[in-house]
Parts: sequence; structure tokens; C-alpha cells
Amino acid sequence: MSEGLIQVEGLSKHYPPDVKAVDDISFTIQPRQIFSMLGPNGAGKTTTVEILEGLRTPTSGTATIFGVDVTKDYSTLRDRVGILPQSFEPFDNLKPTEAVQYWAGLYDIKMTKSQANFLLERVDLTERKSVLSRNLSGGEKRKLGIALSLINEPELLFLDEPTTGLDPKARRDLWRLIEEIRKKGTTVFLTTHYLEEAEKLADDVAIMHKGKIVARGSPHDLIARYGKMTVIVLSGAGSEALREIRRRGIEATEENGDVLVPVKDPTEMRAIFQKISGIELQAKDIYTRRQTLEDVFLNLVGAKMDEGDLKP
Amino acid sequence: MSRILADIMGFGRQYLRSKVGAFFTFGFPILLIVLFGLIFSPSGTQKVSLPVQNLDGSSFSVAYLNELNNTTLVNIRMIPADANITNYINDNSLSLALQIPVNFGSKIVDGLGSNYSGPVLVTIYGDKSQSTFGTAVAAVQAASVSFNYKLSQTLPLVAPGVQGLKEGYQFLDYFLPGVVGITVMTNALFSMSAICAEYRQRGFFKLLATTKLRKYEWLISKFVFFSIILILSLLTTFAVASAVFDTHSTITLLSLVMIPAGAFLFVSLGMLLGVAIKDPESGNAVANAISFPMMFLSGTFFPLDAMPDFLQVVARAMPLTYFNNGLRDTMVYGNTGGSLINLLVVVVIGVIFFLLASRLMSWKER
Repeated sequence: MSEGLIQVEGLSKHYPPDVKAVDDISFTIQPRQIFSMLGPNGAGKTTTVEILEGLRTPTSGTATIFGVDVTKDYSTLRDRVGILPQSFEPFDNLKPTEAVQYWAGLYDIKMTKSQANFLLERVDLTERKSVLSRNLSGGEKRKLGIALSLINEPELLFLDEPTTGLDPKARRDLWRLIEEIRKKGTTVFLTTHYLEEAEKLADDVAIMHKGKIVARGSPHDLIARYGKMTVIVLSGAGSEALREIRRRGIEATEENGDVLVPVKDPTEMRAIFQKISGIELQAKDIYTRRQTLEDVFLNLVGAKMDEGDLKP
Repeated sequence: MSRILADIMGFGRQYLRSKVGAFFTFGFPILLIVLFGLIFSPSGTQKVSLPVQNLDGSSFSVAYLNELNNTTLVNIRMIPADANITNYINDNSLSLALQIPVNFGSKIVDGLGSNYSGPVLVTIYGDKSQSTFGTAVAAVQAASVSFNYKLSQTLPLVAPGVQGLKEGYQFLDYFLPGVVGITVMTNALFSMSAICAEYRQRGFFKLLATTKLRKYEWLISKFVFFSIILILSLLTTFAVASAVFDTHSTITLLSLVMIPAGAFLFVSLGMLLGVAIKDPESGNAVANAISFPMMFLSGTFFPLDAMPDFLQVVARAMPLTYFNNGLRDTMVYGNTGGSLINLLVVVVIGVIFFLLASRLMSWKER
């Protein structure tokens, strides 16, 4: 594998007596991509990210960013890395413009008010630049957090669960912002427990569970490898339709009154539809169901994920 | 009715679970009653520390001192006979002293014979604005009456004379440094312990750790900030006291140096508390528990001399005592040497707290 922007080898973080928050993981991240670490709460995502951010010391293993060992020389990376920590909250009594200027000062950057406002414009906070941060909405606070993380124009941006707890609109707004950041050439390391978010944004996904990476690849690859095939759904067709379909040599199952016809090879789709169309069916609706990362996750972990919690 | 009861139960539970609420409801009054009880207990109220210079040395002056001791109102400690009493009072920031004059014994002998020419005056040097002054005068008067009665039954052989110290000064002049002291302590201590707890709880320390700001820079910035606002506070308080109450204490260069030293001490103590405190509410409760005894036992409201001996020992262990004394030495007594010694103590304690806090405080996770 070629040398990546981030290289992690055999990384572990254990807590006494026997908690393995991160358990011997290895991965490489290429530049100018959105890499998503996907997993439920407690999977070890934040611990991994915080080791990479120089905020935690690993029990064993190595992690380098731009070739720099994060456990030894993280301080040399501060100019090149931006960070939005998990559950980011801004300082309550600073207005966004003031917060940006303050934060710039902590990076030795002298930022004028107009430069700060320009950055706020980039994250779509112009109209709220003069409001005390405590009065910003959850989504606006995260946008401000992203603005702060962009102050040093980082080459690598860590976003630790940036959309957790936000409403769907605020989440979509942030997705747009993250895509724009990537378009400008910044590599994004995104942790999330939203499967849809990883599928929509990420070029590269690592699914993490119980401290280990259980699958790795692009969303398309993961679906192809771990998802089941596309399914034709005959909604409400019932058991009589199931018998008829099977009699014609088509593999099918019934689920809650719906008849499901798996399509193992996409090229067979047309032929199967033709066979089905010859059957007189009492279906309420006919549609195809494409497999998603949710199916992949279910297959790999054996549980669904709801707001970061595993549900059987 | 049931809704009211439900609300009482619900609110009561929340209130009592609030550490600040619990402290001010139960801890604070208990602390006050214990502190005031100790300060004003019968064993402690009347005894005032009275430095005495005996320029005579005869058996009569020794007998007089015994009478003074018998009043049980004063604790006598001796001032060297060769010291200049005015300088000694200034150098030691004393608010009380008694001088027995030269030839005290021979004048008593003369008075007992046929050469009585009026009483011998023992001079009380005292600051009339201090609560201890009245006790000292009463003790000297009682001792004189008893001494006179035992020797002659009729003639007033000895009588007290009063030499006022810091004439024109009032209680507020002595109280002002104490007010500045508790302002410095409460601002720095409460703010820093609460800030540390809040920053940890809300992840601000982690956030700061991702920037180029170093921990020591953050600590220094807090020290500088509190030094500046507390110097402004001193100037404002002083201006109001001078304008409204016509106080006579002065702001000296040393008092302006004392403020950053005090800010350093209490910012460091606040940080040290912040290391152990997990949430801002606990921070307030712990800061209250530490600051209130310090407030009352460090000579802010009452002279240390008015306290029982064991409490005076406790007071000597309180950092605020040295800060208050240092300010009072320079602002009221003009005692630069005493103020410098107190300043040194404040700085040394501050350095110890600062080093401990810097070592124990971590912005990162283990």
C-alpha cells in the first residue's frame, strides 16, 4: 500500500482492568478524500481520533500524520490540522466573529474582523455573526466549530461526529459544507454513527465495532462485498403470489405480506421483471430496494444502529 | 394541593441536590455559627494582646504588670526597653501598646511619702477605631485602680494616659485592605475553580489543547487578567471609600504590587481546586467552604488579637492573613518592611500552589 497521509499500525488503547477501547487497528488514509470511521457509540472511534489529534496516548502501536509520529511531535502538526471535537460547544459569551478572532490568535494568526466574517460567510453564519454563541442553534454552533477548525487552513480536518443530535435540515447543511471543504482539497477524517452520512459523504469507510475495524472500503465496495443483492419488492402480494412466482422458477421469500425477489446479478433484473409481469398479482406496489450501508452494517454486526446505539 | 406537594417535592429534591444550595442552606449557617461562636466565645473575646514597654524595671512596675495580668483582659508581651516605642509600633504594625515610664517606682515611692504630685501616667498607645482599644483601656484602668487601692487606698498613684495612633483614621481605613483582600480571594478563587471545572466538563480544555496555546500560557493569561481587573477594583474601591467616607489610608506602590501577588496566589489555589473538582457546581461549594473560614479568620473583619489563641494559630496558616496584613501594613501603617515580608509569604505560597496546579492539571485524557 502506498504511504498515506495518515498511517496507523497496530494501534491499541486499553483501560484497566480489561477495556479494549481500540484493539490493534491498522489503516491508511489517502489525501484529498473524505474518510469516514463509522460505528456505534463505544466502538472506539473517538478514542482513535483523539489519539490521532494528540489528545490521548495509545497503549501500543504507531500513528503518523504527514509522516510525523503523533505521540511524539504532534505540536509540529498544529498548523496543518484542524479539529472539531465531539459535542463541540463554543464559548457562550463570545459572538461568532469574536470567537473566530480569538481562536485565530491561539494559532498565532492575526485575523481582522472582515477576515473573520469572510470565514463565517464560508460556513453560512454571516447573519448570525453578532449573536452571542449561547443563543445559536445546535447546527449553528457546529458551523461555528467548523469555522474555528478551518482557521489555520488545514490540510487535514478531523470532524468527530459533527452532526450528532442535529435536525435533518441542519445535518444536510453541514453535509454540503463538508463536501465544499473536500472540494477545496482538504482531507476530511469524519467519524459518525449515521450510516446515511457515511454513505453520502465518504470516499472511504472503515466500520468499527468493539475497538476493531470490521470492514473497510468505499461505500459501493462495502455494499457489493457485504450487502445482499438488490431486491424486487411486491408490496402486499401475499402467499398466493409467492407460490405463483416460485412455480415459474423464480427464487422469492415472503416478509410481512410482501414478496421479496432477490436479484443476484443486476443484468438479470430485466428478465426477472419480464417473468413477474406475466403473473396476475394483487400487489399494492412494486419497487426495487437497493442495499445500503445499513444492510452492510446489519450483516457485519448483527444489529441495527439507531442514534449510535445498537438495536437487535 | 397534590400539585403543590408534588412541586415542593420536585423542586426541593433539585434544590437540595444542588451542591451550592445545600452549602448555603446548611453548610454556610453552620460555618458562620461555629466561626462567630469561636471568635466571640467567653474564653476568647476579652483577651487582647497588649505589648508593654517597661522603662522602669522596679518591683513596683513589676507589681503593676501583675495587676494588669490579673484583669484577665490582656495578654502581655514585652517590648524591649531600649526600643523607640513609636518606631517599634510602626515597624510591627501594632494598634496597641503600653509604656510604663522611667522612674515609675521612685515616683510611686514619692507619692506614698509626702511628695505626692499627682498620678504617674502609664501611656496607652492605641488606635481608637479598633475594637481592641476599649478593652485595653478598661484593663489598664482596672489595673491602676487595683494597684492604687492596694498601696494607698486613697491616692491615685497611677493613671492611664492615652496617646492616639493614626489620628483621623477610622475603622473603614483598617477594613478597606480586608475588603480588597476578600475581593481578590473570591474573584480569583471562585472564578478559577469554576472555570477549570467548566472547561473540563464542556471539553474546552481539549479544545484548547488542539491549538498552539500552551498550558502555562493559559495560566499566565488568567493571572494577568485577574491582576488587571483586581487592581482596577482596588482603585475603584479606594476612590469610593475616600470620596464617601473620607478615609485616610493610602494606595502605595507596594499595595499595587500586592494585588498581582494575591491574584497569583488565589488563581493558583483556584486552579489546584479545579484539578480535583469535576463540575462547576461542586467548584462553587468547595470554594465557599475554603473561602468563608479564610474570610473570617484572616483579620478581614476582626483584628486577630480579638480571637482566642488557638484561632490565631489557625489564622497564621491562612494565606489571606498575610495578604490582608501586607496590604494593611503598607496602606495604613506605612510599614514597608512588614508589608514586604507578608508579600514574600504570599508569593512563596502562590508559587507552591502554582507548581502543584501546573503539575496536576491536564488538558488531555490519560
